[in-house]
Amino acid sequence: MAPGPRIPLLQMQNDFESVILARHGEEDVSLLDILDHVLNAGVVIHGSLVISLAGVDLVYLGVNVVLTSIETALRNIEPGPEAKRSLR
Amino acid sequence: MGVGGVSLNTLEHHELRVLWSEVKWPFEPSEIQKSAVEFHHAVHHIFAQTVVVPFRLLSVFDHRQSLVDFVARHGAGFIADLKRLQDTVQMECVVFFKATGPPDLSSGSAYLRQKAGLQSALEEFGGNLRNALSPVGSEIRTRQAKHGNRIYCQVQRGQEELFRTIVQQVQVPSPLERRVSGPWPPAEFLSESVKMPEVAGQR
Repeated sequence: MAPGPRIPLLQMQNDFESVILARHGEEDVSLLDILDHVLNAGVVIHGSLVISLAGVDLVYLGVNVVLTSIETALRNIEPGPEAKRSLR
Repeated sequence: MGVGGVSLNTLEHHELRVLWSEVKWPFEPSEIQKSAVEFHHAVHHIFAQTVVVPFRLLSVFDHRQSLVDFVARHGAGFIADLKRLQDTVQMECVVFFKATGPPDLSSGSAYLRQKAGLQSALEEFGGNLRNALSPVGSEIRTRQAKHGNRIYCQVQRGQEELFRTIVQQVQVPSPLERRVSGPWPPAEFLSESVKMPEVAGQR
């Protein structure tokens, strides 16, 4: 399957000290919180995306994929010349 | 308003309402951050009013009929989860290792002892927190994060402040830091078949 569009993730700042964008109750919601939730929580459908960080391809996702936050991707990336992953 | 300033459309299926936007694909990579924030605000605008099952950002269907077919196939599961999770929200506590200086590399065993100590503190705090939250959390889940743990707690709407109060009362061991967030849609507590529905002919 041909790789899909590349989505370069922004440079992640140190966890939990990112730009504050909104307030939920008494807690500030950071950009990192938002990105982590919209990318890493919720329903997953099929797709094809290449996630890159600083121009380096991180994970190629084929059919039956999950789009993960950079944290999850770094934790689960398998060594090797190609990192292909599908989630069952 | 949906992502990129386009309008939100509604697809109805029995008791279910699916909100979607027609967008340019692929997303402009330079716009992903802006799109994520817009998506977040759209979801939370609805979430403030009722329970939602959010899709992840970049969930894209080729055309409207694909979405219609998908909803027809999986609508019953979504309805069941929405009913089950009605009037609940997801609160989170992230606990992570505080940066206290370089690791102890004086010897292999010193390094491992240091690491074990941090892990022990993490587990102790997690256990204390779970016990403290049991009156308010109908379900509590823990996931490992890169530098700590994320604790997800399903609570009734209206008990968000009680959750925060309880968490703040649990002492945090010195090598750790804690951060609370929420309320979020209860995505962690969706059933597995809803989290990852089977797309026609593929699994």
